[in-house]
Amino acid sequence: MEKIILLIPSIPIFIALILFFVTKKELIPKVSIMLSSMLALLALYGTYYVISNGTPIIGFDGLLIYNQLSAILVPYVAILGLVIRKYATKYMWDEAGYRRFFILLNFIFSSIYLLVMSNNLIVLALAWQLLSISLYLLVSFNVGSNTAVRHARWIMIIHKGADLVFILAIVLTYQTFGSFDLAILSEKWLAMSHNAVNNPIVFVIGLLFLIAAMMKSAIMPFHIWLPYTSEAPTPVSAVMHAGVVNVGGILLNKLAYLLLLTPAVLNIAFIVGLLTAIFASIIMLTVSDIKRSLGYSTVGQMGYMIMEVGLGAFSLAIYHLIVHGIFKATLFLESGGLIRLARHEPNLPKRLSYELFWEEKIKSKSKKIFNYLAFFTILPVVVFVGVKMVLSEEFFQFNASIVILAFAWLTGTQLFLSFFKVSKSESFKMILALVSSFIIILFTYEFIGLELEHFIYGDDALLFYKAATLNVTMLMALVMLAAIMIVGWLFMYKQHFVDVPEAGNKPAKFKWLFYKFLAKEGYYFSLLKIFKKDNA
Amino acid sequence: MITDIALLILAGGLPYYTLLEKNTRLSSKNIFLLSAFLLLCAVVLSLSIPNEHPVSLIVVSLLSAIFSIYKATKTTNFYKLGYYLIFVNAPFFILFEDRGILYSVSLLVSLSGLYLIAKFYEKNYGSANYSNITGITLVAPHLGTYLSFYLIALALYPPFPNSLFFLNYIFKSDPDLLSYIVVTTLFFGNFFLAMRVMRKTLFGRPNPNIHYVRMSLKDKVIHLFILILLLILSIFGLKEILL
Repeated sequence: MEKIILLIPSIPIFIALILFFVTKKELIPKVSIMLSSMLALLALYGTYYVISNGTPIIGFDGLLIYNQLSAILVPYVAILGLVIRKYATKYMWDEAGYRRFFILLNFIFSSIYLLVMSNNLIVLALAWQLLSISLYLLVSFNVGSNTAVRHARWIMIIHKGADLVFILAIVLTYQTFGSFDLAILSEKWLAMSHNAVNNPIVFVIGLLFLIAAMMKSAIMPFHIWLPYTSEAPTPVSAVMHAGVVNVGGILLNKLAYLLLLTPAVLNIAFIVGLLTAIFASIIMLTVSDIKRSLGYSTVGQMGYMIMEVGLGAFSLAIYHLIVHGIFKATLFLESGGLIRLARHEPNLPKRLSYELFWEEKIKSKSKKIFNYLAFFTILPVVVFVGVKMVLSEEFFQFNASIVILAFAWLTGTQLFLSFFKVSKSESFKMILALVSSFIIILFTYEFIGLELEHFIYGDDALLFYKAATLNVTMLMALVMLAAIMIVGWLFMYKQHFVDVPEAGNKPAKFKWLFYKFLAKEGYYFSLLKIFKKDNA
Repeated sequence: MITDIALLILAGGLPYYTLLEKNTRLSSKNIFLLSAFLLLCAVVLSLSIPNEHPVSLIVVSLLSAIFSIYKATKTTNFYKLGYYLIFVNAPFFILFEDRGILYSVSLLVSLSGLYLIAKFYEKNYGSANYSNITGITLVAPHLGTYLSFYLIALALYPPFPNSLFFLNYIFKSDPDLLSYIVVTTLFFGNFFLAMRVMRKTLFGRPNPNIHYVRMSLKDKVIHLFILILLLILSIFGLKEILL
């Protein structure tokens, strides 16, 4: 009976086929939402089954599996899909190709389910490629727009590259380990991890899988496809930022036991993730386009996710991608509602965030505010240390992960601040809101995240931390955290509180060059253009 | 060796279309039909004679394929694109050996769909040239859907059989350096050619100077039949690759 859960990846295709024959426009979203709700219920039942029985559901000759990882991700994707479909019902109503949109949406969800539930590298490769083509067709949904189609082409090229790298990695995996079955391979990799592995091919396999994951998760230097696809319909942006871009993290989690054998690959993941996180988080603050800013924010978050993998915190990456997905999907989907409100009000719509942060009330002195800011940057660190000291020894295994989480929170707050220009008089409320959000995230991870780790990997979780040789000590972590927080706050302070220089008062040359570098997105696109010209 | 060379030529491993194109009496439609027929002959012939080739022939077919990719990027005619794609994919027939037969059959089925699209264009727009007939996704959705299917199949995306047989060969064989080069070149070659057509036909704003024609029921049924053929091949391909 429980094997029916393994039909989940085929249900969206079934929905798409039904939609193809539905003639009434009103029925398209209704059918889609009704059947997707059933899918979500089925996914929840699957999760209940896995939790209550403690065993995964395996079927189709071991090709598909509903294990602990699927039990977390499939309901998440299903519920996300349901929300996006509901949102798209009205949002897409006047668009040409309403039916096409829902059909394509079902295809992309089908490929995500297949990817999450695959227990075989070949099935994984098929899902990996299906995802690329579905995404391409969705992003270029607005076929009349030249820029949308051009940017969709970037997606396609990078994803095709990821497909090839992925296929090569599978070929090498089969040649080296003699199986496509992920369960068998994982057991093999776990057994091998007890001794040192000196085979360079294993390193190459790990590296190829990492590169494939980087390409699909928009990690530098493959990030260009994400920030520039904002012309896609908003529901598509939500799918991309909350679902598709996470597949790199999902892949690395599925191959976690392989990465046990390749600590060097984990170290590379950490460094690349760190560079991406810093680069994208800074550029996010300088680009003028709000949707592109969101795109860079996602790139930065993916950087953190890969960093977490690099530190062996695989389950944290899953936790991160879910939390980030919900956050980013909310941002995208709320934008439509905000525009609707704005149409009904002569001024900007007054929402809680607006009342708190928007209005510029210059009453108090900026120095005092800066003191507040400095004080409240220290508080999270104190809370963090307190939690660490009070709780058991086991929590010290996760210090580096917590730091990454703090970085991610910091980037989120920077984005938040840059969207809602900081009010001087209301900054106290703002700081409290941000600090409380951090404490919530911290405690959620400490209590729920750890449970998640035990649920997905059990006792093996500690092996990953041991494999990640690039361990961050407590002191290093605190110094890095404090430094980044101070730099971040200074940046925000300068951006919002420093007076505009008078005419003729030019900024320093270094500052100007730095700003130019950031505003030009690291000259990345200029380089691409030069390359294109040379080719022409 | 003679049979090897014969198979190489029949499968399109040598760009004989350069000679045929000089003959003004032969239209691109005829060249398409001829090269497709010869590929079919190669498929049938390889059932009875061993389809094993020396490395030199694979290299020759690869060079021919690269040249054909270049030629395909210069055309906006569906017929020409069709036969160039036969030559582009010839190294797979040579390299995949016995597994190349099913790949070539899938290719021929996908190209038959493209051929019908070309005929549709010829009948309704005067020629099989797709230049400037943009945005068909919006104005002729059925035509757009079928063309999307064929192009996605040709771009080597699953669940279409071309991709499945291609992956089946890669995963189940023991590739050497030359195989990697061939696979990489054609993996991207097919992809770029299909994407280029997609961009110029399916996407873009509909051209206001063109009267777009929708497919008749008869056309739809024929294309549906081709899709069913592709589906059957896909099921066969999935069985081959997964079981």
